[in-house]
Amino acid sequence: MEKTICAISTPIGVGGISVIRLSGKESINIVNTILENKIENLEPRKMLLKKIKTKSFCDNAIIAYFKAPFSYTGEDVIEIQCHGGIYITNEILKALIKNGATIAENGEFTKRAFLNGKLSLDKAEGVIDMINAESEEQAKAAYSLMNGNLSTDIKSMQDVLTDILAEVEVSIDYPEHDIEYTTTQKFVEKVTNLKEKINNLINTSETGMLIKNGINVAILGSPNVGKSSLMNALLGYKRAIVTNIAGTTRDTITESYVYNGIKVNLIDTAGIRESDNEVEQIGISLAKEKLDTADLILFVIDSTRQLNDDEKELLDKIKNKKVVIVINKIDEKKHEFTFENQIEISTLKNLNIEKLKQKIYDEIINKNIIGNSTIITNTRHKIALENAQKSLEDSLKTLENTENLELFSIDLQNAFLFLGEITGDSNKENIIDRIFSKFCLGK
Amino acid sequence: MEKKYYDAIVVGAGHAGVEAALSLARTNNKTLLLTLSLDAIAFLACNPSIGGTAKGQLVSEIDALGGEMGVNADKATIQLRMLNRGKGIAVQSLRAQADKNLYHIFMKQTLENTENLDIKQAEAKEILTKDNKVVGLITTQGEEFECKSIIVCSGVYLNSRIFVGDYNEAIGPNNFKPSNNFTKSLIDLGLEIRRFKTGTPMRVHSDSIDYSVLEIQKGEDNIQLFSFLNEGKKPNNIKDCYLAYTNETTHELIRNNLEKFPMYSGEIVGVGPRYCPSIETKIMRFSDKERHQLFIEPESLNTKEVYIQGFSTSAPVYLQEQMLHSLKGFENAKIMRDAYAIEYDCINSLQLLPTLEYKNVSGLYFAGQVNGTSGYEEAASQGLIAGINANLKMKNKEPLILSRSDAYIGVLIDDLVTKGTNEPYRMMTSRAEYRLVLRQDNADLRLTEIGRNVGLVTDERYEIFTNKKQQIETLTKELNTLIKADKLNPFLEKLGENNVESSVSVYNLIKRNNVTLQNISEYFNLFKNYSPTIIEEVNTTVKYEGYIKKQKEQIESAKKQEDMILDKDFDYSKILGLRLEAIQKLNEIKPLNIGQASRISGISPADINVLIVYLKTKK
Repeated sequence: MEKTICAISTPIGVGGISVIRLSGKESINIVNTILENKIENLEPRKMLLKKIKTKSFCDNAIIAYFKAPFSYTGEDVIEIQCHGGIYITNEILKALIKNGATIAENGEFTKRAFLNGKLSLDKAEGVIDMINAESEEQAKAAYSLMNGNLSTDIKSMQDVLTDILAEVEVSIDYPEHDIEYTTTQKFVEKVTNLKEKINNLINTSETGMLIKNGINVAILGSPNVGKSSLMNALLGYKRAIVTNIAGTTRDTITESYVYNGIKVNLIDTAGIRESDNEVEQIGISLAKEKLDTADLILFVIDSTRQLNDDEKELLDKIKNKKVVIVINKIDEKKHEFTFENQIEISTLKNLNIEKLKQKIYDEIINKNIIGNSTIITNTRHKIALENAQKSLEDSLKTLENTENLELFSIDLQNAFLFLGEITGDSNKENIIDRIFSKFCLGK
Repeated sequence: MEKKYYDAIVVGAGHAGVEAALSLARTNNKTLLLTLSLDAIAFLACNPSIGGTAKGQLVSEIDALGGEMGVNADKATIQLRMLNRGKGIAVQSLRAQADKNLYHIFMKQTLENTENLDIKQAEAKEILTKDNKVVGLITTQGEEFECKSIIVCSGVYLNSRIFVGDYNEAIGPNNFKPSNNFTKSLIDLGLEIRRFKTGTPMRVHSDSIDYSVLEIQKGEDNIQLFSFLNEGKKPNNIKDCYLAYTNETTHELIRNNLEKFPMYSGEIVGVGPRYCPSIETKIMRFSDKERHQLFIEPESLNTKEVYIQGFSTSAPVYLQEQMLHSLKGFENAKIMRDAYAIEYDCINSLQLLPTLEYKNVSGLYFAGQVNGTSGYEEAASQGLIAGINANLKMKNKEPLILSRSDAYIGVLIDDLVTKGTNEPYRMMTSRAEYRLVLRQDNADLRLTEIGRNVGLVTDERYEIFTNKKQQIETLTKELNTLIKADKLNPFLEKLGENNVESSVSVYNLIKRNNVTLQNISEYFNLFKNYSPTIIEEVNTTVKYEGYIKKQKEQIESAKKQEDMILDKDFDYSKILGLRLEAIQKLNEIKPLNIGQASRISGISPADINVLIVYLKTKK
């Protein structure tokens, strides 16, 4: 960690004040190189008004110093509050880099905070998610993570496991004592309960990932049924080129909007049809790929005509996916359709567009989960939970086949370690303490 | 007068001391064993038994490394049982009732017949050092010796004081003489002295007990003895044990007289163990329990004294009697020796290296109860390891540090020097992470080679070991043997297993719940040239293959941290980002690697991250 890093912490653009941060051993020395009068004994946690002087300009800035380890990163940190604006901020940054600082990578301040022991792994992940949050629910989930809600849940699960392990251990270490040993049935019950809890947490991950990454909605349909118009209508501005020439959209276009706190990523696909045009063909194959990653497909059809063979074939191809049939051009409707899951709209007259947005949300987001205090938004967490769950399953299988509690305990301990991967805390709380607080033993 | 020279001096001839002395003498070191009383050599001061859960594993490991405890226990056994038989191979432990007189006599004879070993009744007074190195020792009697190594195995004898009700006196266990001078020498060398306590129950005349109302506990005939040298020999089950229980009257007696117990009146300051509590502690801490179990154990073949396990107390004599008489079957019981609590000085084991050498004085080792442990087996394990390491150091060889995945002994010592202990430390299987690989039956496979390398495994033992390994290998190959379906199905039906349609290999058969290599061997008359031990070993390895694999994976992943070596002279205050508590702990313990650091209490996962990053950036 020898490098001292710096970065502009406020958004780039014109604003009243910008904040530039440095972290690392050389922070003070580097800042001193751009000050008119060097600071001799910089007092921590005090703000100083200083004159910044570089070759090209001068500015009055406020300097604040946070001494290691009492700073966000755990290293010496200096914050420079200068006048906002792209030019000044960038010039100061350039000067700092010229004098020995390195530009920070994305999330490097938080990474250092984690590596210096200031943040637990899951909390650090929460901070990163928080910074990257683009929607309300995403921010909420990140905040909950940063605040340690997941840590708390994991700890309480580890606590339950410690209890079960203590009961296992006591029957192994004190076989001859007159203790009411826990029955196998009871163990099965307890482990099953815990498994259920982990399962519930895993079940939030689907929604959690959607909250974090947004819902991927692919717009699909034959050429010229109004896919691009639909995209523009949902976005509320013109993004896709709309013509009445079939095959206009050859590339896939992705744009997002936020609805009810959830980010929705719209993917407008090239009209899928047999085509001789090479460029269009590439677009079509890309569209097919996008279908695989979509959480929901809006299949757009034209109510002024019957379904053609291409459309029927395409519908058959996506029958295993989550699909909403969007019947467009109902202002000129000529045919009735009775799909199980359909909605009638008109992009031209802006009919039912809000309803469609609600429908997209309802189709994907499990509202019960949105209310949860802990939602899994991170693949790493999900995998660890799945591994823990698998270990618990294995432990139950062991109990089905044998009464060998020490085998049972191997999987329980694995489950404990997997849960610990989330918080970075795999140190077994002393099971022995637990044993002696609960059981009466002795020779 | 010219001073006598020894390579090594062992202070104390209890269970740690005898192992240390034997291992040193057997590796050709001129060794002196000092004891306060020749009549207390390897004295079973508390319960007359060796082994038990986790302790049985320790005895097997001591044996595999070439120590004496298993051999001696086998000679003195008067009843042998396998604990946890129903619970699976990994946690099964042998427990022997040992004749306490024979145990002492046999061990004394072994010491007397060992070359390079002098035994002397004398009290150590002062350790002499020069430039932080051991150079000699002076006894209370005024004799001075020169030496290179000292192993302190002083047990519970340092400034010991016993308590029986109001009465207390500065004497050792069983009225043996205590050592009142040696602690000062330890303090002068910078050792931190602490006060622990333990206790022992009364001994009762066997003829005064009504055994007809007690539950009998007999020995088992078909089990392997402790020592791998005694493979195939039958245990000597000539004495029975009995079970008794406390009742409401006993409990009331204790509750109504609480102020009579020094434990509760505040006279005893030492910290006692939670796993060996006195009966008064048990009743006060677990008030909802209606009865507590007691084990009635014979002390020796040539005495009628009987040991009441579970009834240790510091009560005054008259109360002890009333408490005893309240037990069913003990209405007229006569106490021959009173129960007592004992307080003693011990050191802080965090001041030791994993070799059990004191960090600040080269050549000074500590082993046994003086390190804050409890139990004969724990003591013997440490004595052996301290003796081995003192020898290796004198010969400029690499030290022997067993890891937590090598042996229970590794777990024991790592716990002592990494976590330390605030109460007398007892071994338990739950302290071992990898107990499926640390089985009693495979202790020889794990450790004989190591014992051979440090010079303690005799040719005889080594040959038994290589034979066993060879046999396991060939039998494992024979598991490919196919058995035809028509022959197999009657056998499977008998065991309540599903039928098969084609031939199945023995290997695959063992994987079934109710099938073992033993019953296959019996039913089909196969593998008759292998001993039951070999068949059991192979059965275990195959049957638990999946679990063993999981455990080995855990070991592998933990090993990554064990391989990240920390400099033992490093000053942790130089690392930014470590919390103050972490810096203090790390500077105190100076862990050898990241793995050990992570086990120090008070070191958080975040601190470990800091250390790992530090190690990585340093490169």
